[in-house]
Amino acid sequence: MLESIVKRDGREVPFSIDKIATAIYRAAEATGGNNYEESLELASQVVNYIEQTGNTKPTVEEIQDAVEKVLIETGHARTAKKFILYRSDRSKFREMNTRLMKIYEGLTFTDAKENDIKRENANIDGDTAMGTMLKYGSEGAKQFNELYVLKPEHAKAHMEGDIHIHDLDFLTLTTTCCQIDLVKLFEGGFSTGHGYIREPNDIASYSSLACIALQSNQNDQHGGQSIPNFETAMAPGVRKTYRKLYVSNLSKGLELLCGYDDALEATKNLCKEVEATYKVSPILANDNGYQEKELELLVNKYKLPVEAVKRAQAFAIKKAAKEIDRKTFQAMEAFVHNLNTMHSRAGAQIPFSSINYGLDTSPEARLVIKNVLLATEAGMGNGETPIFPIHIFRIKDGINYNPGEPNYDLFKLACRVSAKRLFPNFSFMDSPFNLQYYKEGDYNTHVAYMGCRTRVMSNVYDPSREIVSGRGNLSFTSVNLPRLAIKAHGNVDVFFEDLDRKIDLIFDQLYDRFLIQGHRKVYNYPFLMGQGIWIDSEKLKPDDELMEVLKHGTLTLGFIGLAECLKALIGAHHGESVEARNMGLEIVSHMRSRCDMKAKETGLNFSLIATPAEGLSGRFVRMDKERYGVIPGVTDRPYYTNSFHVPVYYPISAFEKIKIEGPYHALTNGGHISYIEMDGDPSENLDAFEAVIRCMKENNMGYASINHPVDRDPVCGYTGIIGDVCPRCGRHDGEGISEEVLRRIKGYTKNLCSCDENPLEDADKIANPV
Amino acid sequence: MEEKIVGEGVKFERIRRITGYLVGTLDRFNDAKYAEVNDRVKHQVSTGTGAGVFEKV
Ligand SMILES: [Zn+2]
Repeated sequence: MLESIVKRDGREVPFSIDKIATAIYRAAEATGGNNYEESLELASQVVNYIEQTGNTKPTVEEIQDAVEKVLIETGHARTAKKFILYRSDRSKFREMNTRLMKIYEGLTFTDAKENDIKRENANIDGDTAMGTMLKYGSEGAKQFNELYVLKPEHAKAHMEGDIHIHDLDFLTLTTTCCQIDLVKLFEGGFSTGHGYIREPNDIASYSSLACIALQSNQNDQHGGQSIPNFETAMAPGVRKTYRKLYVSNLSKGLELLCGYDDALEATKNLCKEVEATYKVSPILANDNGYQEKELELLVNKYKLPVEAVKRAQAFAIKKAAKEIDRKTFQAMEAFVHNLNTMHSRAGAQIPFSSINYGLDTSPEARLVIKNVLLATEAGMGNGETPIFPIHIFRIKDGINYNPGEPNYDLFKLACRVSAKRLFPNFSFMDSPFNLQYYKEGDYNTHVAYMGCRTRVMSNVYDPSREIVSGRGNLSFTSVNLPRLAIKAHGNVDVFFEDLDRKIDLIFDQLYDRFLIQGHRKVYNYPFLMGQGIWIDSEKLKPDDELMEVLKHGTLTLGFIGLAECLKALIGAHHGESVEARNMGLEIVSHMRSRCDMKAKETGLNFSLIATPAEGLSGRFVRMDKERYGVIPGVTDRPYYTNSFHVPVYYPISAFEKIKIEGPYHALTNGGHISYIEMDGDPSENLDAFEAVIRCMKENNMGYASINHPVDRDPVCGYTGIIGDVCPRCGRHDGEGISEEVLRRIKGYTKNLCSCDENPLEDADKIANPV
Repeated sequence: MEEKIVGEGVKFERIRRITGYLVGTLDRFNDAKYAEVNDRVKHQVSTGTGAGVFEKV
């Protein structure tokens, strides 16, 4: 006699024949049956069968096995089929539940310190309430998409680590990133979705609206946001503010020199009169004849003395130039501070933002570049290094690369700031694959990079629109190169055949995802599409699908671990041998030509990216180590090497590394970046710093940067390299020091506990002239 | 008079660049990236050679 059964979680519960009957009845019902009596009769046969086996405490699984057997033996094939389906659905569901609940358990009860998932993205604080809630959502969405949305072969390849579908949690929701044209956005004002904002009127509002635009767009996409034309977009703000400053200073001059009480209103009207009559405004360059016309008017029409007016004008020019510099600095300082403190995505993450600049030589734009660099050099409130935005300084022959060129001073400044703060990175407009689009003075043709390295320029969908603005990546998926090489056992033909199969699979998956994205509607993206940020979205109505306009975006194949792949395939990586170098180029060229062919065939922008691998650097190798064991130079470290990079542990000179990695930039049209690790404090050796950047350009890289340690002691405020001991105050990590000593070091006597000012750091923050 | 001690338990900040983004403290790196940062070796910049000049590889 059966008295109890064992549930899946090990608990024993009283046996009930009704439960078996109900399960059978449900399966029968699904095939049109409605006879509960018969179900009950079948259930008792199941009980008999189990009892005959001598099992007195069957498990749920054993009972289900018995039900299947009885149904089939009694000729209820269709009901049996339904029952099996129902059973496997339940177990799929249960399996998902268990895996997901395990993950949730980890998220809930362990600190980020002990939980790798919580640290998957280093810029999300996994220990906060909102950070954890984001992870719950993300992990749940990933599993849902794996089980119910992806084609089974795509899900399998992803789960087994043959490929990695990036941002899988957002699979059905949105696209990666966008290059936002602020010039277009600000014209006539815009709406954030929470209210209408007028066209900004001074540099302070330009900079704060730039933050709002980045933040608003970030809520509509899962990747980073980029401003491709930062200095050009901010320049009108400088122009407007300069005009105001000139007028107010001129009015002061006229008050003093011509005996007016309050000349401000009159001076404003005067300025408008000159503008209306002669179509010129007061500008920073002071080269458009404005002052002459103003003088003419004041002397001839308003009968003011020539000398006094000239002196008032000279005063206004001098003061306005000084004040516009200060105002621009403040605006840029606010911009940097805002981007490091404002939160998006439910408060757990600051917007991932990038700004490109360097090529605009107008005085207003130059002022913007200078001051955004100086604000970054100065750092945050206590001198901390700003984490955002990512700065990308564009280098171009004839503009800023050689002494005597108009923005050469800004290139020098960019080197100085990067040597202290790690930003800006540098992008190279003269490299042939970037130069081919370049038209002087047209920012839409100047290749931009998005922080993570994404690059979007060519456009097979609409070759007349090969521009930066309003475009971005739709999604990307990476192939596990080292695994293909391990499986090929040194057979290069086998490797390429397998690689081709994986590329086919990825193209198919990217296209499936594109179809999902394409069926989304304008109203799903109130800012990105609703405000016309994305190219041509302004032509759509709220209910329209995005399919056509999304075709301007890129569908991107990525790769990771070229170094380990080469190691497994031919025994050496591209830092080690010429043969490996050639093989590396052959592999990446092959992937690129597959992308080009696919793009041609589909009219969609398939491209190749050197995968940044934020969440991926450990995942592939962990799985491969489990499968294939520890293979020296391949699976013996906890990470696979970033894209086409020479391994970080391999000793090589900076110039050699640049020479080896350079050619890969031309091949990876969907994005790339190279790094050099510099020893010591590069601020002490700016010539060497610049020499490395120049070498990157000469080797036709697209985008690159220099890494160096940036340490800071929050107690004494020292920023630089700190080994075991702080060079300024002498304390070890975590060690306390005497308040007296600290006071002496800091050179001031204020009560330390009650103030957060820091004279030394404040001194560091004074803007240095270029 | 007893000496007052400040800064006890305050850690140095170590800003590093990981796959393109700056991160303020190594605690927030996942295990693989932490290992990668630790493995990094410096690239020698040979002095005396001008821009774009380097030994043949
Ligand atoms: Zn210190």
